[in-house]
Amino acid sequence: MQVQRGQQDAQQFWLALLGAVRHAAGANSGAEPPAATPEFNAQAMVDRVLSELGDARGGVTLVIDDLHELRWPEATAQLSRLLTNLPSQAHAILTTRHDVRLRLHQLRLAGELAEIRAADLRFSEHETRELLDASGIALSDSGTALLHQRTEGWAAGLRLAALSMAGHPDPERFVAEFSGSDRTVAEYLIAEMVERQPPDVQDLLLRTSLLDRVNGELADLLSGRPGSEQILLDLEDANAFVESLDAERTWFRYHHLFADLLRLALRRTLPAEIPALHRRAAGWFSQHGQLAEAIRHTQAAGDWREAARLLADHSFSLTLDGQAQTMQALLGAFPPGADHPELALVRAGGDLAQGRLDEADAHLAVAETYAQTTPPGRQRRLRVAIASLQLSLARRRGHLPGVVEQASLLASPVTGPSDEDIALGSDLRAVALLNLGTAEAWSLGLPDAERHLREGAVLARQIGRPYLEVGCLAQLGFASIFPHAGEPTARAFAATQRRCREAIALAERHGWGAEPVVAPALMTLAGTMAFVGEFDEGEQWLRRAELALQTDTGPDIRLLLHQTAGILHAGRGRHREALEEFAAAERLAAQLAGSQALSSQVTSWLAATQARLGRPGDARARLAALDDQRSGSGEIRNARAVICLADGDPAAALAAARGVLDGTAPVLGYVTLVEAHLLAGLAHRQLGDQAAANQAAERALALAESDRLILPFAMTGSAGLLETLPRHQTAHAALLADILDVLHGTPPPPARDQAALPPAQQLSPGELRVLRYLPTNLSRPEIAGELSVSLNTVSTHLRSIYAKLQVQDRSSAVQRARDLRLLAAGRTR
Amino acid sequence: MWVHLAALDHGVMDLAPAPYMIRINGHLGATVLSAFPALAPQHHGGHTVLIGLLDRSALYGVLAEIESLGLDLVEIRKLTPDHT
Repeated sequence: MQVQRGQQDAQQFWLALLGAVRHAAGANSGAEPPAATPEFNAQAMVDRVLSELGDARGGVTLVIDDLHELRWPEATAQLSRLLTNLPSQAHAILTTRHDVRLRLHQLRLAGELAEIRAADLRFSEHETRELLDASGIALSDSGTALLHQRTEGWAAGLRLAALSMAGHPDPERFVAEFSGSDRTVAEYLIAEMVERQPPDVQDLLLRTSLLDRVNGELADLLSGRPGSEQILLDLEDANAFVESLDAERTWFRYHHLFADLLRLALRRTLPAEIPALHRRAAGWFSQHGQLAEAIRHTQAAGDWREAARLLADHSFSLTLDGQAQTMQALLGAFPPGADHPELALVRAGGDLAQGRLDEADAHLAVAETYAQTTPPGRQRRLRVAIASLQLSLARRRGHLPGVVEQASLLASPVTGPSDEDIALGSDLRAVALLNLGTAEAWSLGLPDAERHLREGAVLARQIGRPYLEVGCLAQLGFASIFPHAGEPTARAFAATQRRCREAIALAERHGWGAEPVVAPALMTLAGTMAFVGEFDEGEQWLRRAELALQTDTGPDIRLLLHQTAGILHAGRGRHREALEEFAAAERLAAQLAGSQALSSQVTSWLAATQARLGRPGDARARLAALDDQRSGSGEIRNARAVICLADGDPAAALAAARGVLDGTAPVLGYVTLVEAHLLAGLAHRQLGDQAAANQAAERALALAESDRLILPFAMTGSAGLLETLPRHQTAHAALLADILDVLHGTPPPPARDQAALPPAQQLSPGELRVLRYLPTNLSRPEIAGELSVSLNTVSTHLRSIYAKLQVQDRSSAVQRARDLRLLAAGRTR
Repeated sequence: MWVHLAALDHGVMDLAPAPYMIRINGHLGATVLSAFPALAPQHHGGHTVLIGLLDRSALYGVLAEIESLGLDLVEIRKLTPDHT
């Protein structure tokens, strides 16, 4: 691949490289073509290129030409990582005009780096002879020696000379004149070559030299003459330092040195026309939707005000197109000190992408003041861009009213006449739905959140914005983590996990499995794993979420990260580590304007953990600082109960939990109810009322059954409570056994599942239902009673279970079933 | 610490432009010379000598231009009163 001139956009470079690798490795099954994203994670991208290089059969040779044109700050570090980790069947060839500080000393020491420097590239006299022979040029030995001496064996110089001599009536004279000239080799030869072209070709070359790439239409436009495409094709065929960039030969570029000299000549001969040429080019690129290029030429024309206008007006689409870095580079090209208030909008976008919320806010205020001074048509455009950024800012701050206000402005239909306006309208609606749904999810206004996110996902798919679709689906996973009301719905956690996995799978198809956009799904999956007691798997997903969030410092998403880490620690009884994470989450919650409910949850867990660590005083002080509304929430009442239990005041604990159990306190989800039952049970036990304790434990189990919820039992320290619950008094013996396994830290069963059994031996649903009662001490008639089936049916199922699991008795059946994770089948998948 | 850094900056930044002499192999034609509008050219034998006042960033700009035009740099010298 060829590095674009002055490449400042990391994402553009890496996507092109990935595309080239895929092309070289042959067709790629299932994966979507690489597409740009508004949030680019370079490290994940390098990993992705490495993994695709590793998968390529037969090996790939990567050729990167003009490496010195890479201009973003981390370019060499990213490339060094790629090169030092290349899989063994991949090779890389880099060409560069000057040494680039790639950290390749390890490769050099290991003898895996070959360097070809200028002296190695120099043609010998013999090679010069061969080049001339191959070009069909008859030159005497002395002429060849002279040419070699004059060019010092410089390959490009020799090629230029050969081009000029090919049509020359007297090559010997050409060499003699060339050698007699004091002018530098390149200047002499290029001038010679250009002057031998007809005037219209010379003119075309001069006027198009200010483009990085040119096609026939653009060349017609700049030269003011038709027929340019044929000229470009002929020049390429003549090997005249013009080369096509695509297989169809529509786009061309000039050799760098050639282009540089042409540009200088243009500046010298037609200086007055240059701004007009840039303007014409800008117009063409703008018409063809290539805004970044259009802005670059507008800047080059010196039309700074117009350039600022273009950049601000299109900042919304450019961001969605994944050109954020290009936008920042364009921003940097404006002369310092020039006053272009509309650029504040672009600055705000950059701030927001990197989580600098206060700076973004300040820049948006400037942009807004400016927008008020613009005419109505333009004002609408600017307001849309400002609103979309404000929306995203309000969402990141958890400020729901702000989001709703901005989102409804954006979601209103755009009645512009052009296709561009209609496309902008759909983009906006999709973004508005994503943000609106997300804010509603964060404020736990759940039914609307799901509806908006679902609509957003459908719309995003229709308009071909997979990035927004992934965003909506990932947030949809999060939106469903707190099951709707007080009552558990059937296996809501399993449904949440399925959604998260779907979002992650779609993200992975596009190669965005480690991008911030999918982080909500990764984290929600980690959280649900914690809730069902799958701590190891939860930690794996959490690590992936952390990786995806490396470049994102927004308080909203980080709050979730710490909270999830906290419950994973708490579930394992690591209260000290949990406390640190909850404390970090609470500090972030303080930065978010809304999300009352979520922050009550964090505060509740934080205070409860303090109490469990023997610091009930600190916990009490924390709760005392809360306002009445939060103080009355179910979560905070539970925390109060925990503190009372730690203080040895079970009667007060019961009183605190009662408000949750009788439904007067608002709760985040039924998990809070499960917790309250358990805390009440613990209090009854301290009071010596075993019957009430058993009843409370049984109610907690009944609520937890459909999701096979385990975390609340672990976090409240309910092992003792469950152990004293007589087995024949519970209708949830299987869940009980699972919970006790987790609480006692039984090593997690090896990661196999029913699928590990040969198909003939897989258990039927009826057999699985019976199997789940085997770890209990219920007799066969009792199991039959629990399942409302006949004793005969249970006995038949049992025989079949023993046969399929190849065991002789009940206890080895339980052991085998645990190994195969059959008992936990209801938990996760 | 700030004082130290400021002093370092001062040493590196070279606020005032200084006269430089840049010697390049071959005679530069009008086209290539137009890439160096701030420098006065003279031909010395087979070389072109460019002289002009440059601050640090202008100097590196000139060097980058020399590189990108594939010119053969022979010598570069800062002309100071004690360096005649």
